[in-house]
Parts: sequence; C-alpha cells; structure tokens
Amino acid sequence: MVTITGVIPRPTTYSGLWGWLTTVDHKRIGALYGVTAFFFFMVGGIEAGIMRLQLAQADSDLVSAEWFNAMFTMHGTTMIFLVIMPFGATFFNFLIPLMIGARDVAFPRLNAFSYWTFLFGALLMHVGFIIGQVPDAGWFSYANLTAAPFSVGKGLDIWALSLQVLGVASLAAGFNFVVTIINMRAPGMTLMRMPVFVWMTLVTSILLVLAFPIITVALIELTADRQFGANFFNVAAGGDPILWQHLFWLFGHPEVYILILPAMGIVSEVIPTFSRKPLFGYPVIIFSGIVIAIMSWAVWSHHMFTVGLGPIANSVFTITTMLIAVPTGVKIFNWIGTMWQGSIDLRTPMLMAIGFVALFIVGGLSGVSHAVSPSDFQQQDTYYIVAHIHYVLFGGAIFGIFAGIYYWYPKITGRMYNELLGKIHFWLMFVGMNLTFFPMHYAGLNGMPRRIYTYSEGFGWEGMNLLATAGFFVLVIGTLVFMHNFLRSVKKGEPAGHDPWDAPTLEWSISSPPPVYNFAEVPQVKGQDDYWITKRQAAARGETVPAEPHIDPSTVHLPSPSYWPLVAAFGTVWIAGGLLIDFGWDYIRFPLSFVGGLIAIIGVIGWSNEPPAAEHDDAGHH
Amino acid sequence: MGLMPFSEEDSPVNIREGSGPATSPRCTVNSASDSPPRPRRSWRPLAILAVLGGVLLLAALGCDPDAPQSTFGVNGPVAREQLLLFNVLLWTMVAVFVLVEGALLYAAIRFRRRPGDPLPPQTHGHTPLEIAWTIIPTILILALGIWSVFVLFKLEPGEAIAQAQARGTEPLYVEAVGHQWWWEFRYPDADGSGKLVTTANEMRIPVNRPIIMTLKSDDVIHSFWIPKLAGKQDVVPTRANQMWFLAEDVGMYYGQCAEFCGVAHAQMKFRVHAMEDPEYLAWVAGFGQPNELSAQAARGQLVFLGDGQCVTCHTVGASDTVNEVGDGVQQGRMNTYLAYNKWLNKPAEERLEDVRTGNEPPAAFAAPNLTDLGLRTTIGSGLLDLNRETLRQWIRDPDDIKPGNRMSELAAIYQTRTDHRADLSEDQLTDLVAYLMEQR
Repeated sequence: MVTITGVIPRPTTYSGLWGWLTTVDHKRIGALYGVTAFFFFMVGGIEAGIMRLQLAQADSDLVSAEWFNAMFTMHGTTMIFLVIMPFGATFFNFLIPLMIGARDVAFPRLNAFSYWTFLFGALLMHVGFIIGQVPDAGWFSYANLTAAPFSVGKGLDIWALSLQVLGVASLAAGFNFVVTIINMRAPGMTLMRMPVFVWMTLVTSILLVLAFPIITVALIELTADRQFGANFFNVAAGGDPILWQHLFWLFGHPEVYILILPAMGIVSEVIPTFSRKPLFGYPVIIFSGIVIAIMSWAVWSHHMFTVGLGPIANSVFTITTMLIAVPTGVKIFNWIGTMWQGSIDLRTPMLMAIGFVALFIVGGLSGVSHAVSPSDFQQQDTYYIVAHIHYVLFGGAIFGIFAGIYYWYPKITGRMYNELLGKIHFWLMFVGMNLTFFPMHYAGLNGMPRRIYTYSEGFGWEGMNLLATAGFFVLVIGTLVFMHNFLRSVKKGEPAGHDPWDAPTLEWSISSPPPVYNFAEVPQVKGQDDYWITKRQAAARGETVPAEPHIDPSTVHLPSPSYWPLVAAFGTVWIAGGLLIDFGWDYIRFPLSFVGGLIAIIGVIGWSNEPPAAEHDDAGHH
Repeated sequence: MGLMPFSEEDSPVNIREGSGPATSPRCTVNSASDSPPRPRRSWRPLAILAVLGGVLLLAALGCDPDAPQSTFGVNGPVAREQLLLFNVLLWTMVAVFVLVEGALLYAAIRFRRRPGDPLPPQTHGHTPLEIAWTIIPTILILALGIWSVFVLFKLEPGEAIAQAQARGTEPLYVEAVGHQWWWEFRYPDADGSGKLVTTANEMRIPVNRPIIMTLKSDDVIHSFWIPKLAGKQDVVPTRANQMWFLAEDVGMYYGQCAEFCGVAHAQMKFRVHAMEDPEYLAWVAGFGQPNELSAQAARGQLVFLGDGQCVTCHTVGASDTVNEVGDGVQQGRMNTYLAYNKWLNKPAEERLEDVRTGNEPPAAFAAPNLTDLGLRTTIGSGLLDLNRETLRQWIRDPDDIKPGNRMSELAAIYQTRTDHRADLSEDQLTDLVAYLMEQR
C-alpha cells in the first residue's frame, strides 16, 4: 500500500472542478468555507421561517409537533456548527496568512482536510431529511430524552455522529491556526503587534482545541448508549442525565465565545479603519479577550441554574457569570473610545460594526439579568433567553460576520460592492433583527416557554409572536438584497484597488484579489498597524504606496495540490456514516464503519508518502 | 487590575513603531489641539437620550402583569422576591443601556467624517479610563451579585419552614411527578392526619401556607413552573429537587413544563387552585369517598373496568396501587414500560402469537389518577376546558387533541381501529363520560 500511495504523483491542475477538489490554497479553502456557510445560513433561515410561521398565531397547525421539534433542533445545530463557526473559519483561512505576512497556513493539506471533513459532516447531518428521521431533541440534546425508549429512530444517531465528524474538522483547524499564528509570523510581527483579529483567532483556536475534546467525550458516551447499549445516561440502569449537561455546557459555554470572539476580532479591525484612529486600548482589548476565554471555563453551570445544583453552586456560578460581563464591557468601551474624536466614515462595514456593538450591548445586558440565578429561575427556558441568544449570536456574531464580508469584499474579489445596496441591507437587517427578537423578551417575561410548537389563545403572546414573524420577513428581504449585491458586484463592481479603505494591516499592501503566493517579498513588520506606518512614512516623503508588484509565481515555492485530504476526510465521515446504515441486518453497520476507517487510513498513508511537490504543473510552481 | 502591565503602552508618549521616527510626521501635525474646533451641537445628546427614553417607555408597555403566565403579575413572597431582583437589574441595565448606547450613537454622529477632515489625533489609549471602566462595573456587579446570593438562599425550603412558623402554621408538602406529558400531584399528608391524596394536572392548595414541592420525574427531565407564584425548578429523574412557594390570594394560577421533554412538551400544562383552608380541607376529606352513581354512570363504570380497559392504567377511588410512586415502584414501572415498548416493536405476527399464547407483557403505565376528575377544570393536562363534550372528544380520539400522547399510543382500545379512535360504541362513550364526570 505504501508503494501504491507513494507513487501517485500530486495533482497538477489549478483550474476547474479538479482544481478546487485538490486545492490546498488557504484563500480557496476560505472561499469554500464561505460559500458553504452561506448556503447553510439559508437552510437554517428557512428552518427559522417555518418556526416563525407556525408561531405567528395561536393554535396554529401549519406543522406538526414532530416537525417543529426537528426544525428548532436543526436550526440551532445548523446556525452554530454549520454557519457561524465556518464563517469564522472563512475569515481565519482567507486572512490569517495575509495578516501575518505568510505564504499559507502551517499545514495546508490539513487545512483542506478540515474543510472536506466539515462539508461531509454537514451533509451527513442532513441525511435525516432524506430518510425522514430528523434529529429532534434540541441542539443541546439533553439526556435522557436522547435515550430509548424516548428517542427511537436514527435522528439522534445522525446528530451525534455528524457532530463528532464536525468536531474532527474543528480540532484540525484549531491546531492548524494555533501553529500558524505562533510560527508563521513575518519578521518583526511580535505578538503585541499582531492585528486584534489574529489575536482573537489565536484565542478562539486555543478554545477550540480545549473545548472540543469535551463534547467528543460526551458524544462518544451518547453514541455508546445508543449504538452499543451502554448506560452513561440511562436512568433505568442508574446512569445520570445531569452528567450530559455538565459535559455539554463545559463544552458549550466556551463554544459561545468560539462563536463571538472572531466577530469581536473583525469589529476590532473595522472600527479603527473607518475611524482613522488606532484601536483604543489595544492591549486591554486583547487582554480582555484572553480573560473572557479563561473565564468561559468557569461559568458553564449558569445554563443549569434550575437543575438543582443547590444554592452554593448557583451562587458561585452567578458571580463568575456576572463578572464575565466586565471584560466584555471593557471591549465595548474601548471600541467607543476608538470612535471618539475619530473621523468616522459610515460605510457599510462600519455600520455593521456599530450595529454589532449596539446589539451586543443589549444581549450582554440581558445576559447579566439572567446571570443572576434567582432572577433566572423565572427566565430560564423562556423566550427571554431566545431573545438574548439571538442578540448575541445574530446581533453579535452575524453582524460581525457581515461587517467582515463587506470590509474584505474588495480584497477577496478585487471589486467593490454597491454601497447603497450595502446600506439598505444594513438597515433591513438592523430593523428586521430588532423586530424579530426584541418582542421575544416580552413573550418570555409574560411566561412563554421555549420550544413549544404551539400555544393557546389568551396568554398574551399573540402580538409579540406576530411582530417576530413580521421581522423574519424583513430579514429575508435584507438577505436577498445582500445576495444580489454580492453576486452582481463580483462581475460588475468597480475595480477596488488594493487598499480602498486606507487600512492598517498587511493584507491591504498586496493586490486585490491577492496573488496565489500572497507576498512577493516577506514583509518586514515595523510596528502595530504596520501598513499605516508604511503609508504615512511614504506620505511624509510625498510618495504614495502602490500595491506590491506581481512576480512570476514559478519563482515562489508553494505547496502543491493533493488528493489525499479529500480521501482521508471521506474515510473519516464514512466511519460515522457506516454506523447509521442497516439493510434489515443491524450488524452491517460495523463492517461498513470499518471500511470507512480503512479509507481514512489509506488517505493518511498516501498523504504522508506523496512526493513533496508536483514535478511540474499548470502554474509552474516548484 | 491586570491592566497595569500595559499602562506604559497606553501613555501618550509611548512609541508603538519598533523603528524609525517616534511617530509618523502626519500624526504629530494632527494632534488634538491642532484640529479645527467643530461646531457645538449640544442638542444632539439630548435628542439621543430623548429617543432612547421614548423607546424604553414604549418598551415598558409590553410588560403585561395581567397575562396568565406573566412574571410581572406575581403573588406570594417567592415570585415577588424574584420580581424585585429582576426589576432592580432591569432598571440598572436600562441606565447602562442609555449611557453606553448614547455614547455609541453620539460618537457615530458627532465624529462623522466630512470631506477634507484631517487625520484625527492618533491616541492609543488612556490608562485611568481603562481602570475606571473596569472597576466601576466590577463594583456594580459584585454589589448586585452579593445581594442575589441572599435572595437565592431565601428560595430554599428552609425559608418556607421559617415563613410557616412566622404565620403560625406548618408547610404543606406536595410531590409533583413529571410524566410525558402530564403532571401527577401527591400529597403524602394532605390534612395533617396522614391522608394520602393523588391527583393529576390540577393542584389544590390552601392560601397563606408555604407549599414545599418535591419534584420527581417518571421518565425524562421536565421543569416545574408556576410563573405567578415561583420561578422554575427542573424535574430530574434520579433526583428529588425541592422548591417552595406560597399563594396569598385565592384563585387559579397557571403552570407549564419549561424544559423540552419531547413531542407534546407544549401541552404539558397544569393549574394550581389556591383556596381558603376550610375549602381545601373539605376537598381532602371528600377525596376518594365512594359516590352514589347514577344508572348511566354505573353502566359507564362497567366500560371503565371492562371494554375500555381504562383501569389498567387509571385509578379511580382512594386505593392507589398502580400509580404508587416510590423509588422501587418507579424503577419497576420503567422496566415494565421498556419491556412493553420493545414488544411493540416486534413483528406483528410474533406479537399476535404472544397474545394467543398469553405471553403479552403487561401494559401498565403511569396514567392520571381520575378520582376527582369531575372537580377539575381541564382535560388533557391543562389543554381543554373540561365538560362532557370535550371529555368525549378526548376519549374518542386523544391523538387529535394532543399529538404524541401515551394513551393513544399504548392503550389497547386505540390499537384495533384503523383510524386509531377508541374502539367503543357511542353509547359506551356516553356512559363512560357520565361515570367520569361523577368522580368528584
């Protein structure tokens, strides 16, 4: 096998479908992540729409209880694992090497493996729709509702195994970016000169690496219970359903910061650029990000205030949870400090960033109100919490992501989006978001529990739910405007130039879109906001700074494409997928899963034995 | 504060660039004092505050204390304490909201770029400010946090005993058992003389007496919540959580399961009837006393015991063996349930063979005790107002009213017809309804 896998030459094509399937270029992988994440953003949005239509009026029977439960399970799972996290990966991939002055990530093939594993895991998550057994126990899938006899069919198996696969992708990506950021920085880029987005990527990647093993353990236990008859959570056999909650939230709360820290990093890039001022309190913003990451390990039980952990545990987690608001608040104050006395250009990225800050304040404050456990006893598992999570994840993470999309659009595509359409998109999103989620605070405080597929008349929830459903359609229109703008501008947008925003970071010093080798010459970093320094020193001499000139790519050593990440990823997902299959004979799943393992091993052996580079290829790389 | 290590970097004289001149020439030229003074527009912050205030005023109208499950229209010390805490938090948050959003909006409007604006002052930070906006929120949060810890301990059952003593009474202990998807209420000592009362979905309590709830689950995790009386507490299998509340006013309070517990989670409601002590004691005294049945009800009783097979799972009268919830019995019933569920998944021919040979496993499940059904106001776990018509609909086709319910799924009379309606004649239904409505 070693010889066979060793003699297959590396692929040589950089174009067409085959080029995309074998690519190891971080920019292309970033684009793949982005397109996939946006596709699932629409899938999750449709699921949200089905729920909003069902709840628009009392006693509605548009969908069945089973379908509604499947919808909120898939909506939560999709938006967290298949939208916000891969959008984060989109920016990590595209930008980190550019921002630290590197040619690629530390492990380009591992990077490709991450993406393909993520994609296959995401698709596996949705096979339930084909076989009619969709996961339906919530994105948190509390034990022992996930155990027989309360959960029959393959829905929860699909959920647990796909999430396990997605975890492999996240772990690989997490390690890759930790190593990339630690090792691949250009000369002169000390840690305290790194852009804040790079810092937040580093913190997020460390959180990923530490948090995912915990959910891995929990999912192994759940899978063992369901597939092999183990008793981790089986009450009838003395298992403890609360064990799942501890494991899930010990992962789940750092996960919340995995979702929000990249957006905070994006906003920390956008606000200084459009205020023409360096970030206010740069070390404080970084330090508070690190503090948030550390404290995120000490707050998980606030998801479990009503479980009955007792007043001592609840007191401790009340105080730690309230205190995490301090570093978060400090970040917000510093962003406002950056804008203060600045020269603020309210272009779309800046509007999105200000929208992020404005909405995150609301989510943060409501978060403090249910960090207080006695108060939370009334709010836990109500729509008040639904409102909160959407203020931090939609108002926060999604607005941050859109700020990033508009900000780096000219860099990624080389063309400028339509500013007017961008602003219309922002206002539709901003109004739609508040119309959808603000009324949910009231619904919750007026006693509406979460995850109910219908409600009776006369509980005072009709008006707020109708408003929320109306808001959903505003968000739909906003998203259509965005799609139109995005797709039209790729072809017809004005050429953007290399540095349309007078931005401070390295990626703006090279042409748009960046050449395949990124930097012709490894940059020498002079300080924080390096490109500002370069430009202002040049301006003092009365010169302007053009984009770095292109060079012959064949003179640059770049990693060659490879088939093997795709093979290894396919094998990995097949280990999980095989366990879901039965053709009347239940035990067929074991050999099928084993075949997946074999494919993965072949992939890894091929990976380690393939020649270091293609002998010759289209682009003439060595 | 952890900010100190960075303080030197925040000072205005700090040089960030690693090499070259101290600051770029343009930075020095455009220091704050050199930029032209902007016109004063002092109405703007006021206008922003006015708009924000108006929004908040409108927002306050959304809180509806009269809504049946509103956490604003509270009764009794527990929910009142929680509301007080929430209100203090809310108005603190509103103040912070107005200040911070006001500053954000002010900055976004006041410092907008106009054509020809020079480069603004390149400040990097301000150490005293950083310290201030770290310490002030910390103090605020610790103050609120410490207060909340005191409130937390007031929600413990120990406080209920103290409150009872202060009122010259004893706490009433009630067990709530969560089932998919209904509530069982057990009073181990309902009247002080040791009378056991087991009822379902509607709980009767005396006013001005602390009620200490012990919460148990028969299957999955539920959450017990009566918004107007007390915040929720989860109902966890393997655990016996406790909580307490007290109703000061006579009346009916709505409750609902708050933890997602499967298909019919939305329809797992219950009601609490708070009444004066004598009325409560009269209910306890009358509970389970044999009734004089009408002729029609007597025929219905035969359906209940015979063709309907209702008695397999439901109890009527004081004797309460099937619905006994002790730990051993709960375990036993779970095993029974598992065995039966497994059996249901066997191929039809094998099941038929089991029925023929008498090897069919027992199908005993937890089902609501119907002893005082005629006194209740709802059917289907708080779902429909109870009357002869709704009860008849419920018995005929429970799945039509509450999808996923166990009665329709498991009871034998729903398995024979293709439309899964009860295999009873219209007359039998009428008699059965009459019998059940006479249980008071």
